[in-house]
Amino acid sequence: MIAEEALIDQLKSPETREKAFAVLLNTHKERLYWHIRRIVLNHDDADDVLQNTFIKVYRNIESFKGDSKLYSWMYRIATNESLTFIKQRSKKSGISDEELKNRMVDNLEADVYFEGDEIQMKLQKALATLPDKQKLVFNMKYYQEMKYEEISEVLETSVGALKTSYHLAVKKIETYLKAD
Amino acid sequence: MGKKDKSNFKTPEGYFDNFNERLMQKLHVDEAIEKLSYLPESDGFHIPKGYFESVDKKVLSQIREKDTKVIQLSPYRKYFYGAAAVAAALLLFFGLNLKRESPVAFEDLASAEIDAYLENTELDLTYYEWAELVSLEDAELSDVMDTPLETENILEYLDENIEDIEELNLNFEDYE
Repeated sequence: MIAEEALIDQLKSPETREKAFAVLLNTHKERLYWHIRRIVLNHDDADDVLQNTFIKVYRNIESFKGDSKLYSWMYRIATNESLTFIKQRSKKSGISDEELKNRMVDNLEADVYFEGDEIQMKLQKALATLPDKQKLVFNMKYYQEMKYEEISEVLETSVGALKTSYHLAVKKIETYLKAD
Repeated sequence: MGKKDKSNFKTPEGYFDNFNERLMQKLHVDEAIEKLSYLPESDGFHIPKGYFESVDKKVLSQIREKDTKVIQLSPYRKYFYGAAAVAAALLLFFGLNLKRESPVAFEDLASAEIDAYLENTELDLTYYEWAELVSLEDAELSDVMDTPLETENILEYLDENIEDIEELNLNFEDYE
């Protein structure tokens, strides 16, 4: 595996950019896909957002200053692209973000790429009620098993605040799941 | 004996010294309990067969496609032409007046004529040129807009056009 600094140098050089980008794509596509998928829920939408994310990474690699790790920077782009996607779609549909999120969850019932049982469906409904930050932290911690330090770099939030967000998210989900 | 504050409330000795540690410990225990109890291990999402093998090609072909787009060599050329046109118009305007037999001073021009000239002439100045001409402290939004801009419209515009709030370089202290 190529060291990150060397890979960044190769990405910034026009002669080696495309080859290095293929390495980057291959290394991070799966983790970024699942991160995006858990925000936009639908596979086709996740595919679109993933492609846009990598295109943005390719176009903006020159401006990457190395203040954070490359994958944190890519995660940030993926997060922004996913949230922007939801905002734009709700704007086009003339409904609020919350209403759209509820519809997205309802659409899962007919989604061929979602095979969740009753509890998994209910979990998605619970997640749709959370503020974006809490939902992101929950998914990154619980399903992507990221460390708080890694999440902290991506979301630019202190570890203490993230732990509080996660704790609140878990409590709200618990309350939702035990409601019936 | 605990420390006293001005209102005579007391805390046990060393209460604040290990508060963070105790809180984090409690959070970890809660997390561990909750992870084992009721949350499903998987969230039920699947992908089409072979998706990750095909996504590389899709991304790389899009990048190559966009790389081959023709880019205008001198994107600022139109501004140079605009600036030249403005200079020529001003020279013509003031030059003709200076050659008159009875010289007309700038003060003699009716302000209505100046207003009419500025209103009817496309100056084609860039944002930066406007910024140099008009002092920000003296400018009001109503100077450049016929109808007042509602806060709702501004927020809607920002919502649609600004992807990252940090792009605005806001100094939050100004808004406290």
